[in-house]
Amino acid sequence: MSSFEDADTEETVTCLQMTVYHPGHQQNGIFQSIRFFNREKLLSSEVVKFGRNSNTCHYMFRDKQVSRVQFSLQLFKKFDSSVLSFEIKNMSKKTNLIVDNKELGYLNKMDLPHKCLVRFGDYQFLMEKKDGESLEFFEIEFSLSTRPLLQENNWLPQKHIPECGSYSSCSTQNNSPIEMGENEW
Amino acid sequence: MDVQCPALLGQRWLGAPEVGKNVWAQAITEECLPPPTPVCLCSVFLRLSSMERPLTVLRVSLHHPTPGPATFANVPPQLEHDTSPLLVGRGPDAHLRLQLPRLSRRHLSLEPYLEKGGARLAFNLKVLSRKGYVWVNGLTLRFLEQMPLSTVNRVAFSGMQMVVHIEGGTSLEAFVCCFQLSPSPLIYRLQAEETDEWEIIPQKQPPSGSGKQAPGHLGFLDSPSQPRPGGAPEIQLQREPPDGALC
Repeated sequence: MSSFEDADTEETVTCLQMTVYHPGHQQNGIFQSIRFFNREKLLSSEVVKFGRNSNTCHYMFRDKQVSRVQFSLQLFKKFDSSVLSFEIKNMSKKTNLIVDNKELGYLNKMDLPHKCLVRFGDYQFLMEKKDGESLEFFEIEFSLSTRPLLQENNWLPQKHIPECGSYSSCSTQNNSPIEMGENEW
Repeated sequence: MDVQCPALLGQRWLGAPEVGKNVWAQAITEECLPPPTPVCLCSVFLRLSSMERPLTVLRVSLHHPTPGPATFANVPPQLEHDTSPLLVGRGPDAHLRLQLPRLSRRHLSLEPYLEKGGARLAFNLKVLSRKGYVWVNGLTLRFLEQMPLSTVNRVAFSGMQMVVHIEGGTSLEAFVCCFQLSPSPLIYRLQAEETDEWEIIPQKQPPSGSGKQAPGHLGFLDSPSQPRPGGAPEIQLQREPPDGALC
């Protein structure tokens, strides 16, 4: 029999596709250490750190405004689920991490939605998970966007973006008072 | 040995020690204890961090029914750890190293985090072993499954029994683990139950004046069959006939 026929069955691998944007990436070389369009295979038990410190971070941003460890991602398995999920954790004491409309402070963490926009400072990451069968490994693939992701995806169409660049958590619900007639109670 | 001075317990030492002056520790003892009373400063420093905030303390009791001579050889009495996950396993990079052949090199992790709006560290237990499983508070967790820990937690894996008691502090820089070994089983019933009755065996605290322990020596907890002097056990529980301890 050929080796192809004898080989172990390959499993598909969970892949996290990360599209990044920063307004100054071309001038400052902040993504110099990132290999774009390359699928990197990692152990599923790995805690993947992102930040400025090359000794501790798997993915490094050459930017002094980035914390030494800005945030981390790790896989976990929900009970009674056959697929893996990601969990994101803010590791920065100075900068909050915004995942869609949710703001994470230092050491706060949350399940990463299947597709979401993650922001801190001027950085924008569109993260999308492609499910796979393997529990042993997963992959991360970076791609670069030359245009802001926030507007491109119309992520927060009704949200006012403050000039200071910091975002407070908000709800998509309409919180304004509703007029009701006397007979509507 | 517990510090006998109530003024010191849980208090922050506001002044930093000065280089060249070895009177800081001496000053603590002279302040409220007659010399030459020895004081174990672990009880004081345990709750201090470089930021002068009390550290969260994980009091970890360990039991194995058939420990080998090296099973607990690498377990320190106390371990201070930063906010990265604390690894438990057989491997050299494990922070809590237990020498058990059935234990994975990285068997599980205890990861600190903050709940939204919370001020004290919470902990998440995650299974890193591909082959083994971890029983936690009545639930069986497998590879990459995880769950948040409560204030008191029963954990079992590879024949090891572990009870983790979390005492919250406000420091977000680090936490401390205090390890104690138990010659007796810590957990009797391990299956998930409908009720929330505890089956943790109350551990008698070592009596005061029992003498200083040598550095690096882990204290053994006394047998739970002996009544604890001075009052009720710290943890109220219903003691049931054992179904059979975890193997």
